[in-house]
Amino acid sequence: MMLINSGDKTMSKYDPIVMKDGKRYFYRFSAHQRIQHVVLFSSVLVLAVTGFPLRHVEEAWARPLYDFMGGPEIAPMIHRIAGSVLLVLFVYHTIYWIVGFIRNDLGKLKQENRLTVGSGIKAFFTQEMVPNMKDFRDIIHLWKYLLYFTNRPPRHERMSWREKFDYFAPYWGIPILGPAGAILWWRDEVSHVLPGWILNAAYIMHTDEALLAILFLFFVHWYNVHYAPEKFPAAKVWLTGYLTEDEMIHEHYAHYVQVMIEAGLEDEIKPQHFGGEHYEW
Amino acid sequence: MREYRLFNSILVITAFVLVGAVFSVAEADTEVNCLICHKHRGLSRIDEQGKFRLYYINNEMFESGPHRRNKCHDCHSDKDRFPHDPTVKVDCTQQCHIVEPSGQAKFSHKPIADTLSKSVHGKFDADGNPKKYQEDYPGCKDCHDQPLYRPVSVYKGETKDGVSKRSIGRCRSCHRTGYFAEDFYDHVTSRLRRGRFPMETINVCAKCHQNQEFLKRHELDDAVTTYKETFHGKLIALGSERTADCLDCHVVEGENTHLIESKLVPTSATNKANIGNTCRNSDCHVNASAELSSFQVHVTYERDKYPMQFYMLIFFKALMAIILYFFLALIFFELLRRLFPKFSFIKEKKTSDDTDFEPLSDDADK
Repeated sequence: MMLINSGDKTMSKYDPIVMKDGKRYFYRFSAHQRIQHVVLFSSVLVLAVTGFPLRHVEEAWARPLYDFMGGPEIAPMIHRIAGSVLLVLFVYHTIYWIVGFIRNDLGKLKQENRLTVGSGIKAFFTQEMVPNMKDFRDIIHLWKYLLYFTNRPPRHERMSWREKFDYFAPYWGIPILGPAGAILWWRDEVSHVLPGWILNAAYIMHTDEALLAILFLFFVHWYNVHYAPEKFPAAKVWLTGYLTEDEMIHEHYAHYVQVMIEAGLEDEIKPQHFGGEHYEW
Repeated sequence: MREYRLFNSILVITAFVLVGAVFSVAEADTEVNCLICHKHRGLSRIDEQGKFRLYYINNEMFESGPHRRNKCHDCHSDKDRFPHDPTVKVDCTQQCHIVEPSGQAKFSHKPIADTLSKSVHGKFDADGNPKKYQEDYPGCKDCHDQPLYRPVSVYKGETKDGVSKRSIGRCRSCHRTGYFAEDFYDHVTSRLRRGRFPMETINVCAKCHQNQEFLKRHELDDAVTTYKETFHGKLIALGSERTADCLDCHVVEGENTHLIESKLVPTSATNKANIGNTCRNSDCHVNASAELSSFQVHVTYERDKYPMQFYMLIFFKALMAIILYFFLALIFFELLRRLFPKFSFIKEKKTSDDTDFEPLSDDADK
């Protein structure tokens, strides 16, 4: 999942383009964001291996995996710790985003004496993770391209609609999974405030949303960053913070052109392609 | 069937000749006498109903079981000659030769049977009339398949399975004769924990309460399958012994486990008036409020009975289907697109406001 912060664009200590061994690399994620991603996927993986044996008790792998994770005494504790870490990360990331938004976007507007309610709201809706009309046009465009009705793939900005979807998946998943998990965890205490049948609701929310999240991660997100032929076995941006030129051209062509022009490299802009080339590792 | 009967007769005759050769008196009175035949693993026959019957007694298992101080004849009292007369079913409520130490009366399971008959599992209703499908209601042996002792030892603050010689040493220092100390130790310590593993308890109930024909006949919900969907059921399936099995909720705390009552009976553990306290019993949800018990354990996801669960399930399944099918289709077509990257029904040309765009060409691929 992508962690995006527009603030890093303006305040960045990272060069937008880095040359290494004669190849161009394009800045994408700061170290701060990469660490958040590591915490995010570690806690999600731990939650999955300590949670899914319970969801699929009847499967042959459930008991061995659960025993490996500590069995009925230890595994729930690990699950709760990982869940707490994920919730803390959720809150932390939200604060991180709000601070970045106020400091960079609103701060810039204030400096330029243009800060009004209207411009503030506009700044919010032009945040790069916020879906916009271009995303809907891009979805239709992509389907046109995939079904061979055009030879021109969509050209995405810095954040494509798929990455926005990836980003908001945990942003709707955690508010469903987290409170439901907390209710199941603190069931005795919760029963003084809420009726017992709330546990029935929390149970369905927790297990079914977890399955959706894991299937989405396993099939869709891992396709985006692992299984896709040009990514296999794994994309490196989560470690390096930089995209290769081919990845930029394939996934963010509009952004690629903009960055190249800003760097004064108009003449070296390469034509667009769609997964037609193999990337070098 | 004819062949089975023939085989059966041959088997009995062979056994008779074998035993007859050793003992002239055909009486199965002592342990030794019974085991002469019943120690043989193959001792079996097909009965008149065509059912396979095994008559083998594993003496090692018997000797470590709770009935080891009983003689065969204590329970199988009709077996007084050889070859045996047609079998009379063992009556668990008869008095056996063991004296119950606290009252000095001969021991019998009759009080337990009386409790059972008062419970929801009794064969007669409150007015003494036989219930419908009376033969479906359980007797002792439908639930009790003679569990072995599961003694525990506590020594140096550690609880372990089995008998610790050091623990039993204290008993042996006074009770030296025979196996009294061992028997008593097993008897007491195996009751320090539940007689069965929780999973065994659930399987016992499942014999009827997960049997679809039975459920239909008695118009009951599938209590076992629905229970296995709960965290209680799931944790037990993963080896926990600390969460609630059937008996924990369906027996009033401290009451005889044989007294399971319908939730309509005012004294039942699952009656509306009591269920709050059943959840809050001293070993479980102590800190909870009585409201916790409005949690629904046996959820069948039927629309009429459990509308909230039904609609939530539909919502999440639909959400999952829409999102996953959309993206899986996208991935499928994307991989397919890569097979023919240059093909297109409609070729778009470069436009004037589109200066930086170049369609895929042979050059671009190089």
